Amino acid sequence: MIGKYEIEVYNNRVHYFLTVKRNITVIQGNSATGKTELIRLIDEHNTNGASSGITVKCDAECVVLNSSDWKVRLSAMNGNIIFIDENAVFLKTAEFAQAVRGSDNYFVIVTRDDLHQLPYSVDEIYGLKNVSDSAKYKSFQKTYNEMYKLYNLGTQTKISPDIIITEDSNSGFECFDIIYQGRCVSAGGKSNVYKMLRDQKSETKLIIVDGAAFGSEMGKVYRYMSEFDKSSILFAPESFEWIILKSGLINVPNAITDETFMHADSKDYMSWEEYYTACLTEMTRNTILQYSKSRLGDAYKTAGSIKKIAGALPEQIRP
Amino acid sequence: MLKIHYGELNSDNYINNPDIFFNNTYEDEWMLDPMTIEMVRDIDGSEIKGPRLVDSPFLGPISTERLSGGVKTLILMEHDQDHIFNASACGDNCAKWILKIGEKKDLLIRLGYLMDFGNDSFEIQIENIGKIVHDKKELFEAVLDNELI
Repeated sequence: MIGKYEIEVYNNRVHYFLTVKRNITVIQGNSATGKTELIRLIDEHNTNGASSGITVKCDAECVVLNSSDWKVRLSAMNGNIIFIDENAVFLKTAEFAQAVRGSDNYFVIVTRDDLHQLPYSVDEIYGLKNVSDSAKYKSFQKTYNEMYKLYNLGTQTKISPDIIITEDSNSGFECFDIIYQGRCVSAGGKSNVYKMLRDQKSETKLIIVDGAAFGSEMGKVYRYMSEFDKSSILFAPESFEWIILKSGLINVPNAITDETFMHADSKDYMSWEEYYTACLTEMTRNTILQYSKSRLGDAYKTAGSIKKIAGALPEQIRP
Repeated sequence: MLKIHYGELNSDNYINNPDIFFNNTYEDEWMLDPMTIEMVRDIDGSEIKGPRLVDSPFLGPISTERLSGGVKTLILMEHDQDHIFNASACGDNCAKWILKIGEKKDLLIRLGYLMDFGNDSFEIQIENIGKIVHDKKELFEAVLDNELI
């Protein structure tokens, strides 16, 4: 499934506006903001159609997936936007993660718990907010919403990190270690980022993660940083490959990075991180810039290439 | 004292879905308890008009079963002594009430996320590791350092 979908759900008491554009969207937030009510309205509309008095406007069919017979129902769905409430017992199972991979559907999941087995984006975690004082009109608002994908920056306009922690251990790490002149350490995966943050005693740390799949760690890492490690900055671009695609090092149609939702088919890519890796690998195949995730090619390490890649980083963290 | 089990919990008396459990077990008298009335007013912004009727500012008159999952879980924590409830059904705005209930009695709950219990000091026992923590920093570090979630 590809595309960006505007969803409007309403009855005479409450009115929701949502936009989804990736295979996984997560809704969190305070109690009584209307998350469960949204799912109830969609479910009642599914069951009773127009007779429910509920209107659901969307170019794709919106459905609710409950615990009973979820596997059978999900296997029969295509092109749907599937809403799942937090109490669904299958949410954290490996079986569900397996079913999401390759699914021709988008999923909107209400949960406060982190879903470690699903690679969702930090950009697709939302809370429901009232649009007006009436509390009738509600829309999504990003939970983590920072310009330039820099989190915990505060009022700083430029930082000079003592150490750079990268989620990547291979090509991404190699490249950032050249850009930051040997000051990088690798966390060796997203689940180790918090530990590295705690272990490294340097004053100012810059943490670079793949935002397209870091959603499950964001609640822990960012919440900790924002409270108790205010001098450290988190940079969460989509992925290292996205930085290269944006850098101008190779000729990439803007639509690849600016309208990824029109290209990254959920059937083929579990996350946009996988899509950007596939794009970069394919576009550079049999060229001097042939890309490999496991080892950074020499052509990427030249002064000219490094300058271009560094130029794609936000100015605040550029060395 | 408030005791919290972080992460997954396997126990015969654990209730993963307090929302549904509440609908099928709540007692009318719970709804007229002053603390319930305050919690519903604070979390849902609604007024309890009777044991089976609530006036919601945006849903209008609703049955008790349509209160938010968060406030239903709080009411269960206050009135049901026999079960451990999944407090991930509660948002951060429920934290102060969980602390209040935990001040009155021994309360064991389950959490799967870093709920924000505020900046004041408190006393919470992390059940998985038996440690008592006294502020947010101590709590966050104990939970994250021990990879409980």
